Amino acid sequence: MPWQYRRWTADHPLPLGASERAAEGQEIRAGDVLAAGTTYGTPVRISGARRLGVAPNDLARVLRVPVGGDVERRTVIARTGRRFARAVSSPIAGRVIHQRADGDLYVAPVVGRWVVRSTLDGEVTRSDEACVTVEGSAWALQGIAGYGPDAFGEIALAVDSPTDEVQPSRIDVRMRDRILIGGARATAESITRAHACGVAAVVAGASPAGGLRVVYGDAATASGATTGPDAPTVLCLIGFGVAPLPREVFAPLVALVGARAAVHTSTARLFVFAPENAGDFAQGAPSLALSDDWLGTRPMDEHLALAGVTRFASEIEADAVETRDGPVPVANVLAFDAPRTPRN
Amino acid sequence: MTTSTELVASVEIAHEARTERVPSGAADGAVLRVIPGDVVRVAALLGRDPKLAPAMAFGALAGGASLVALAGTHDGRTFVERAALLRDARPDLVVVLASDRRDADGLVELAEALRFGCAHQSPLPHILVAADERVRDRIAASCPTNTIEALPDVRTPAGREALVARLRAVRRRAQGDAVLRDEALEAAARAMAVDAKADVVVLDVTGGSTSVIHARPDGVVLGIHERLGVGAAADVVVARAGLDRVRRWIPRAVEAPALLERVFNRARWPDAIPASVLALTLEMALAREAIAHALADAERAGVPLEPMWAAPLVVLTGRLAQLPRAAQSLLVAIDVFGATGPTLVSRAPGDALVATGALAARGRVATLPTIDPIAIVAEMWPRRSAIVRVRDDKGVIEERVARGSFLLVPTKGVVEIVMPGATVRPRAEQLELGVVIDARGRPLALPPRDAERIPTLARWYAALDVLPAEVR
Repeated sequence: MPWQYRRWTADHPLPLGASERAAEGQEIRAGDVLAAGTTYGTPVRISGARRLGVAPNDLARVLRVPVGGDVERRTVIARTGRRFARAVSSPIAGRVIHQRADGDLYVAPVVGRWVVRSTLDGEVTRSDEACVTVEGSAWALQGIAGYGPDAFGEIALAVDSPTDEVQPSRIDVRMRDRILIGGARATAESITRAHACGVAAVVAGASPAGGLRVVYGDAATASGATTGPDAPTVLCLIGFGVAPLPREVFAPLVALVGARAAVHTSTARLFVFAPENAGDFAQGAPSLALSDDWLGTRPMDEHLALAGVTRFASEIEADAVETRDGPVPVANVLAFDAPRTPRN
Repeated sequence: MTTSTELVASVEIAHEARTERVPSGAADGAVLRVIPGDVVRVAALLGRDPKLAPAMAFGALAGGASLVALAGTHDGRTFVERAALLRDARPDLVVVLASDRRDADGLVELAEALRFGCAHQSPLPHILVAADERVRDRIAASCPTNTIEALPDVRTPAGREALVARLRAVRRRAQGDAVLRDEALEAAARAMAVDAKADVVVLDVTGGSTSVIHARPDGVVLGIHERLGVGAAADVVVARAGLDRVRRWIPRAVEAPALLERVFNRARWPDAIPASVLALTLEMALAREAIAHALADAERAGVPLEPMWAAPLVVLTGRLAQLPRAAQSLLVAIDVFGATGPTLVSRAPGDALVATGALAARGRVATLPTIDPIAIVAEMWPRRSAIVRVRDDKGVIEERVARGSFLLVPTKGVVEIVMPGATVRPRAEQLELGVVIDARGRPLALPPRDAERIPTLARWYAALDVLPAEVR
């Protein structure tokens, strides 16, 4: 089924330097801040346990500023003794970021701040320095590749039919903070215009691979691209180039216009926060066919019948299915929800 | 190699989205599975010796792992930069290499950065340490929650073998009973070299991996395995090589954006079939670049390639062997694999060779399947035009060869080639194509402009009758 309502899990990896995080068990809504932190400049290593004359394991006992705590210049971080005191103070303003096994400490200046927001309505099931995981129920549509940061907003249509291409002229600032639903294609022009107009994300059947490289650089691959928070967000649902959306995918999107939604780019999922009974969205997965020259994909509305072993223009002989455009190799026909990554 | 007494009825070989069973049909007993294996992400923490980085790269190539981060004691990065590098790399395994005791403090600094960056990664990466015992103890103190294992010096063959064994164990993960595809191919290459009493090179290109394996008749095998391919890893090939390097192999004008679209679609369509001639030529172009980059990476890692170039037998497997025409497989191989002497190129279509290798890798004796000899390739770079005589059952054919020549001499029966300064008597009884005389020189020089490049490629394609008639 392309659309599924069930309980989903979304991982949100954190950069270094988290200073606050949602607690496990906390209820959260998509778009809420899950964690916030700081980025660090060049750290300074300062002698800790050795200078104080304590064992490294005992350093925590004499710390006046715990690891993770903020310090000003000359702040005393640790101190021992009364009459003949020994102290360690910070040479710079910043944060105590790490204690080494030998008892030395690192203090780093704070040069920036970051926040990570939830892409699901639900409950925090894991929260540590590396990742915050949220589990919750939602309607979801699995795409094949997500580009850019996670995004949140209300669903809005940018096309009239599932075969249309998103036209830059249809995008303006009234679509700010919306998740735009494109049809068969979202070009680089429409993606950049949408981003300039404050659109949260563009979701389409396909996007030109060359256009994605223009927007995200040469590191963008068919599996997606992760970027900083200032890049546009794009979700390709079916493929690259041109890929009209099947009726079973597009019709629920039309019905869900105005609903709150989020794009989780690392898993290439569109989550829509609507009640389970919002509509009869959970329909069978339509078939998709890759064109013979791999330039695009199309939904197969017709009834598929096997055509037997067929010799194609490339002289490859393979089992084929009959379509109105001629035989297509069985291997080039997949269900919308079929796995699109190889098995190990 | 392990030996098992368990009987195996058939071997199941996993491809991108399907599995093939050898022999085909329902299994009547235990099934041995051949899998590509999980992607293993390896980060290396290196001491000051400049030989450590190539040795690590060699080990990663031999073990089929992805080297995702290299941090050195003298790389000039700050503590935070190192921690961020390691955190973003999300390593499954961390290898610490140091040959110098003076590296101890620097390595501990790197280990502290690893703890700072990856302390909460789940699962925690295991740390393999190839260094002095005292260094290992200090690293263990810096990363108390990570599992620390000792590793021999990876600059030595024994150390590399130990690293490869460890990497393969991780790639199998929970599927401990399965044979990795590269393991099976290495065993098959070894068996073929012993059988032929000659050096054998196996070139295997699949959707997600490329392997170049050199086996000697004394049983020594050297394999390099990379996550480059013509399917799921096609986009990785383009990211590594650049689109223009892939496009240059296509004998017609193709717009770069449209080509990239095809590559991306193929990467996300497991086991897709190239039904059109253009898609087929794209697959051939990707295979060339995948092999070329695997070889280039091997060369950078210090892998000796000269013995490979001199191997008299080259066997093609995987998608490379399944191209519709033998000439297609042959052209891909000889365009990027620069053999230095006359070479018999064969291909092993289907999965029989992989299945045999899998059985051999598990210590079972299996008969080598028939492989199809395609052609004998005689590479030369004559100073002036020279006569090459090809003798077969039909008689003697003389060809005048000048620099740049590329021609096929169809043959029948046992072949003998008389080249300037050398007479070669290959063992092939019946060649599918014949003798290919390749005087194009190495490395191949392709003109950058389409107006010159396309006719050059078209001439090479026409010489071997590579493509169906309508696109010539």
